[in-house]
Amino acid sequence: KHSDVKATRSEYRQECQETHKLQTSCAKAAQVLARDGPNALTPPKATPEIVKFLKQMIGGFSILLWIGAVFSWISFGIQLAQGAESPFDNLYLGVVLALVVILTGIFAYYQEAKSTNIMASFSKMIPQQALVIRDGEKKELPADQLVVGDIVEIKGGDRIPADIRLIFAQGCKVDNSSLTGESEPQSRSCDFTHENPLETKNIAFYSTTCVEGTATGIVINTGDRTIIGRIASLTSGVGNEKTPIAIEIEHFVYLVAGVAISIGVLFFIISVSMRYKILDSIIFLIGIIVANVPEGLLATVTVSLSLTAKRMAKKNCLVKNLEAVETLGSTSVICSDKTGTLTQNRMTVAHLWFDNQIYSADTSEDQTTQPFDQSSPSWTALSKIVTLCNRAEFRPGQENLPIMKRVVVGDASETALLKFAEVILGDVMNIRAQNKKVAEIPFNSTNKFQLSIHKTDDPNDERFLLVMKGAPERILERCSTIMINGKEEPLDSEKAEAFQTAYMELGGMGERVLGFCHLYLPENEFPDTYSFDTDSMNFPTSNLCFVGLLSMIDPPRSTVPDAVSKCRSAGIKVIMVTGDHPITAKAIAKSVGIISATSETVEDIAKRLNIPVEQVNWREATAAVVNGMELKDMSSQQLDEILCNHSEIVFARTSPQQKLIIVEGCQRQVRGHHLLTKPTSFCVFQGAVVAVTGDGVNDSPALKKADIGIAMGIAGSDAAKNAADMVLLDDNFASIVTGVEEGRLIFDNLKKTIAYTLTKNIAELCPFLIYIIASIPLPIGTITILFIDLGTDIIPSVALAYEKAESDIMNRRPRNKRKDRLVNEQLAIYSYLQIGIMQSVGAFVTYFTVYAEQGFLPSTLLGVRVNWENNAINDFEDSYGQEWTKYQRTYLQWTGYTAFFVSITIQQVADLIIRKTRRNSIFQQGNKVIWVGIFSQIGIALILTYGLGHVTALNFTPLRFQYWFVAVPFAILIWVYDEVRKLFIRRYPGSK
Amino acid sequence: MATLKEKKTCSERMEDFRRFVWNPETKLFMGRTLINWVWISLYYLAFYVVMSGIFALSIYCLMRTVNPYEPDYQDHLKSPGVTLRPDVYGSRGLQIYYNISDNKTWDGLVTTLQTFLTAYTPAAQHLNINCTNDTYFFQDTFDGPNKTKLSCKFTSDMLQNCSGITDPTFGFPEGKPCFIIKMNRIINFLPGNGTAPRVNCTYVGDESSLLEVDYYPVNGTFNLHYFPYYGKKAQPSYSNPLVAVKFLNITRNVEHRILCKVIGAGIISDNVYDPYEGRTLLKNT
Repeated sequence: KHSDVKATRSEYRQECQETHKLQTSCAKAAQVLARDGPNALTPPKATPEIVKFLKQMIGGFSILLWIGAVFSWISFGIQLAQGAESPFDNLYLGVVLALVVILTGIFAYYQEAKSTNIMASFSKMIPQQALVIRDGEKKELPADQLVVGDIVEIKGGDRIPADIRLIFAQGCKVDNSSLTGESEPQSRSCDFTHENPLETKNIAFYSTTCVEGTATGIVINTGDRTIIGRIASLTSGVGNEKTPIAIEIEHFVYLVAGVAISIGVLFFIISVSMRYKILDSIIFLIGIIVANVPEGLLATVTVSLSLTAKRMAKKNCLVKNLEAVETLGSTSVICSDKTGTLTQNRMTVAHLWFDNQIYSADTSEDQTTQPFDQSSPSWTALSKIVTLCNRAEFRPGQENLPIMKRVVVGDASETALLKFAEVILGDVMNIRAQNKKVAEIPFNSTNKFQLSIHKTDDPNDERFLLVMKGAPERILERCSTIMINGKEEPLDSEKAEAFQTAYMELGGMGERVLGFCHLYLPENEFPDTYSFDTDSMNFPTSNLCFVGLLSMIDPPRSTVPDAVSKCRSAGIKVIMVTGDHPITAKAIAKSVGIISATSETVEDIAKRLNIPVEQVNWREATAAVVNGMELKDMSSQQLDEILCNHSEIVFARTSPQQKLIIVEGCQRQVRGHHLLTKPTSFCVFQGAVVAVTGDGVNDSPALKKADIGIAMGIAGSDAAKNAADMVLLDDNFASIVTGVEEGRLIFDNLKKTIAYTLTKNIAELCPFLIYIIASIPLPIGTITILFIDLGTDIIPSVALAYEKAESDIMNRRPRNKRKDRLVNEQLAIYSYLQIGIMQSVGAFVTYFTVYAEQGFLPSTLLGVRVNWENNAINDFEDSYGQEWTKYQRTYLQWTGYTAFFVSITIQQVADLIIRKTRRNSIFQQGNKVIWVGIFSQIGIALILTYGLGHVTALNFTPLRFQYWFVAVPFAILIWVYDEVRKLFIRRYPGSK
Repeated sequence: MATLKEKKTCSERMEDFRRFVWNPETKLFMGRTLINWVWISLYYLAFYVVMSGIFALSIYCLMRTVNPYEPDYQDHLKSPGVTLRPDVYGSRGLQIYYNISDNKTWDGLVTTLQTFLTAYTPAAQHLNINCTNDTYFFQDTFDGPNKTKLSCKFTSDMLQNCSGITDPTFGFPEGKPCFIIKMNRIINFLPGNGTAPRVNCTYVGDESSLLEVDYYPVNGTFNLHYFPYYGKKAQPSYSNPLVAVKFLNITRNVEHRILCKVIGAGIISDNVYDPYEGRTLLKNT
């Protein structure tokens, strides 16, 4: 019964009388609640936590490490079965590897969960309340407790708590923008006006807002069954694909894993064919895998991303999905909403016309004065009309707030006028009190004017003042005179012409124009005691005196033009997609620079050349304003052509579905690989990474479809925030630019981190290879490698995330997804085959130095492995004839590990310094956090060698201090080598 | 999210790869021109030559700085290790089992001892001098031939009953086996602080029964004139002094754990990690 939308008015009347019968009892409500579930949108199906956790456990390099662990356990089992001595080493190694995987997994999971939680807490910040009548009592209930059949009361400012059918409405207007994108408030009444539930006036929808008035209604749908719920559930149909950074990391993992596995297998084969035991070969394989896999890197990447996310959150970009941090950096197209994102989302007086002249008003966010000339007596008259013929009022108790921030009861235009007047004249409410209102006709759509009659504040003037405002042409019709410099002059055709020109000019700027006129009622006809009757209109409403025009616009945010030009220089195309009128859209686009000052649309060219639009070669036009109507009839090829051929595009009057089409158009790939290598047109942006901003529920499919959806934090609906990857807390477009900058920076810095981390892999790998081939005592142990990867190297790699941009970050094009990889061959080869080799040489020199100074000269060491590792030989002879027990040798071997470890650490300091910058010299760029990295690195190494040097299981020994310096010349060599390379890069940029 | 991955057929991929290997239009081989590859190869060649050079230079410098006579540091040789002959290792250290009546079970042990003692025949020791002083044999100058230092003679006959000369079976058939204990060489190491270090063998874990041992030389001492050792270069003919132990009352068919320690100042024999530093443990049946 309740969902019978078509019920006639009389039926409603009846129902209204029976309201007490309709009231749901608490008991029944509980029943229905149990049946229908809470009145809330089911959040998109989240992956179960355990699945997320397991994904972290097996993702990335974890598989390799698990394989290593399993091999360790297998060899432990075999050795145990064979009754070999000390088989537990392999057991421990396996346990350590498993621990590494589990701990890094837990860490990554924790980081992810933390960023998800930020979001969760964010959306739960304001629990919505609803005023419900149950059991004959009014109750405040959380909105999710509502059930079908509940009667709820709504007043201005409330969010509609469910889909409701109104049974009582008084001046009720709702803002359906979250549903339709139209921000114009729509009135609501009890009348059934349309078959389509979206059009009929007697239904208010869940998640829309009641702007003014009051209403009572019956809940007809709750939760996912609401209109919004249905749209939101459409969103979950749009699949979620991998973020660009996830693809990059995957690529990197494949690369490193490929290297690890191929070297591992190669040396497995070599060692088997060199007649090593299979068991030993497996242990070598584990060593090679561990050496090759940068265990700490993925954790580092996560930390770096979350650091950036934190930094962005401070700049009002809240990132839901850590990986989205970088996506913004590779964005090449931004499809931006107009209202609220590019504009301030409030009407503001932009221009005035009086005394035959147009004045501009200040439209910035924090205006305190208005600079235009206010000396004319016409302005005095105009200001009086603006002040008096206005029903908007400030909510009380906001005296200390800046005028622009105060909350106003009233519609958008009146609010604009009230604030405008308050800024210029000061206390408007006081002025109104002094000019007591005696009669008033509110604005309605038939009259298209608003009128009020006041006593004047001049005690000597007994006349009443009639003030009127409304649609300019309607106002002008009612005027016979016009005020010029404070004098009433007859309104002749010349003056009417001037009015028309001004009206057209202001309208052409996309502004909403209002006309103002007044009339001092003659004292003799309308004495003090005269009783005005607004129904019979017993006062003149024609032959008034026209005073001026005021035009209003939702002005662009002051930071936006700068942000748009930044985007442009960063190679990002900004497309405006709005439901607004094309003229307004174009005006805003021009004022924020989305359409630059010099570029023309087809229509502009036609106007300039004075030829019909059809004759203009549309390829000449750089800008385009596309109407939703045109878009409807377009094929996707035509849309592509538009997206291709115009660099500055505005889509106006678009529906939510069209927004999705536009996003898809931007993302559409140019099929075929070869086309890309030879771009014939300037459609390079196609196949782009597209960012979409939006706030309404209707935007959520587009937000989800986009590579990165950006929802508005203030104006945004929950559905939009759910679908988005990022939330702008201040709804400000300029914050996106900050996000782009951070995203690009983190991509660059991750590159540095990876280069830094990869380099030492060679220095960790070479010992195993040489150990196998030359049969020397093992230079570095697997556990020691883990201490580098997860100990000394972690903080420096994170420190690289704090690196500042290298000058040109916002002046280059977005990275090409196919060419600018996170890890490319050059980076890998430079790290592996040049710097890595230098590090290995340095570390080996240290190794040989330690052994030589303890008695084993390099020549003695070659080929010594089998006897060296034989437990039965306890009188092993060194180069000087001394004899060593097994334990003494092992202890020396650990000293070798420590020395190797220390020299890698020392050289990693050099590596850190060279990786800080990719082009600039170290002398050109500082970063204090790097020092933290260097000190932590050396500090941890010191603690490990001297603090934990006596814990046998860790294989560290207190190292003689001079061995710390053996690798220093090599560190310096690395640094000088790289400085020379950078010098060449700066000298000859662009060469491969 | 966008369709970031372009779906390609296998043949397209192969074509792409072929094009990557050799692109006839741009004359690029694996993404570079041939001449470019040559330059790169030359660069890497030069780079590795230089790196090898640097490595060789470093090792050369290292060899120049180390002392040829003695190592710079002896951080890990604070105390000598002690080893036993014959050395048969099981999974838990030295384990010696044999059957008296079956000479095959102890033939190998005897051979090991005989082979070991060949280095101590008078012929093998002819380069060394006879020493009689019971004090450290310090040599500050190179008195030996070819700038070497002299070493004291240790011949197997000093081991008397365990020398293999009087009893070539080293007492194994009688169940009173001989074992030879050797202390590791450490350069400039002075054991015992003036008194000769001596070997002492006891049962482990079974304190009630007393192990009767004959030590050769008398008292099981390492004479001080064998110390200090000056290194292979200075004393090329140096041979370690030995102590032989003959266990007289080993109960048969019972597993014994016998610990032989070298007792003397400066000799550590209680390092939990190193079972062979200053001691040797054997299981014997």
